Amino acid sequence: MKEIRGPADKSGKIIIEAPQSDSRRDRIERNVFAQLAQMRVADRADAAVPTPPASNRRAWMFAGVGAAVAAAVILVVMTKSDAPAPAPIAEDTTPSRIVTPVGGESQFTVGDAVIVAASDTSVDVKRAPDGGITLVVARGAVDCDVAPRNQRPPFHVIAGDVSVEVVGTRFSVARTPSPRVDVVRGKVRVRAPGGTWLLAAGDSWTPPVSGSASEQVAEQAPVPQTPDPDIEIDRTPNRNSPTPTPTMSPHAQYQIAQKLEATDVARAAKMYRAIAASKDAWAAPALFGLAELEAKTNAAQALHDCNEYLRRFADSAQAEDVAWLRVEILRSAGRRDEARVAVTEYLRQWPQGSYAGIARRIASPP
Amino acid sequence: MGLSIVERPTPEDEAELVAACLAGDVAAQRALFRREFGRVNATIYRILGPTREVDDLVQETFIAVFRGLAKFRGEARLSTWIDRIAVRVALEHVRTRKGTPVSLGVLGADEPADASIPDAQAHARDGLRRLYAALAQLSAEARTAFALYAIDGRSIAEVARLIGTTVVTAKLRIWRARRELMKRAAEDPVLKELL
Repeated sequence: MKEIRGPADKSGKIIIEAPQSDSRRDRIERNVFAQLAQMRVADRADAAVPTPPASNRRAWMFAGVGAAVAAAVILVVMTKSDAPAPAPIAEDTTPSRIVTPVGGESQFTVGDAVIVAASDTSVDVKRAPDGGITLVVARGAVDCDVAPRNQRPPFHVIAGDVSVEVVGTRFSVARTPSPRVDVVRGKVRVRAPGGTWLLAAGDSWTPPVSGSASEQVAEQAPVPQTPDPDIEIDRTPNRNSPTPTPTMSPHAQYQIAQKLEATDVARAAKMYRAIAASKDAWAAPALFGLAELEAKTNAAQALHDCNEYLRRFADSAQAEDVAWLRVEILRSAGRRDEARVAVTEYLRQWPQGSYAGIARRIASPP
Repeated sequence: MGLSIVERPTPEDEAELVAACLAGDVAAQRALFRREFGRVNATIYRILGPTREVDDLVQETFIAVFRGLAKFRGEARLSTWIDRIAVRVALEHVRTRKGTPVSLGVLGADEPADASIPDAQAHARDGLRRLYAALAQLSAEARTAFALYAIDGRSIAEVARLIGTTVVTAKLRIWRARRELMKRAAEDPVLKELL
């Protein structure tokens, strides 16, 4: 990695080269267009459902997940009877309750936080006079996107005897079937019987169990934990890799899988495969990610993924890229005849596509 | 020494490209992304330093670009308009994440390393870490102005336009930032060498 060429030149400028790998650019490109596709779906859903005011700058990015899927079937119960449903959480100290039905998902904002309540979740929202926010999860799970708390009022999530304090910025807390915290971005501090833990991005937490039962549970449920030097540490065995959990939204799992690509390809592929097998809106990007990942090591499997993608998501925004990935895989594998057939198929479907120029050169060599 | 010539798009080309993007032409959108990626990536990287969050912010910038493209009126070059969005995204991030330690070797891990100069690599990384640790002590505005001017190579007038301030204010911020960095460099030979 050549980041710095040398000291400042005569004009006082410092020369730093930014990393410019194609794989990184492609990954970001894929994410951008996947997000945009999600947002278009969300926009259509928003046309039918009133949009809560989003003060968090990332809120609109996040909105694509839940709103698109089930905005129309959200059941929002406000305990404050004069609050207009389905309005956002009232800016007062009165607790409000959000209940989502089985199969539904609810997104709402509280202050600068964007919360997605998973299927079959009941959560009370409390605002303290000092502006502090507390979510009490009675059942189910919440996915929170929260700004770092530097100068902001505190933000807590309580699930039974587990309390999660936000340092920042995005995490999931599940109470049922058992307490669990997953951090997507930033840090949170978890307090529970037995100790306090500081979790960083990619960490997952489940309660430590003492005695022989503890070992069994630890085998089944990874227990993470980045030590916080300022607080009491429970020395439960560590497992640092993030783990997909049914309580995390597919979008959150997709993001973790992307991060894992750089460090743990096998786990990334496993996560992608799980999302791709679902009927969620993130199944298509996940299958694309899986195909790209496997293209590096297993051409046959990658081709299988591409074919599955083109069969299941033929009309998606990324179908063209997948069709071209198929061509590239065949060419890399030296399967030239099949590659030419794939190129012809590509050109028939996307005659003016992004890869049409090179496709024609391959189809009609000089 | 190689010479590469990049054809600058004419305003007409840009207008056509924008119109095609707004019409939902995915090929045009991808062309726009690929044309602008390098500069946006470099600008955000130079403001933030080597951190994994660069990817998120580049992504956020392009989503804002495509979502806001209908508001682009063609009064400035498209690249300038996109740069303003990138700087705004980076600046807001720096404001909220001030003091976050710099992690090295995260971004760019997929770049081929030059194994022939391991010492120089390590030295460069050390310098980079120290520079961004020093920048993290500055205000978000001063850090951004300095990075745009001294690292990203923008003119002071351009910096002023990008961060939405006057030339005088931009100049003062850059000057103050450099003064603070030089103070730290007096006690840090690696940083001094870089500056």
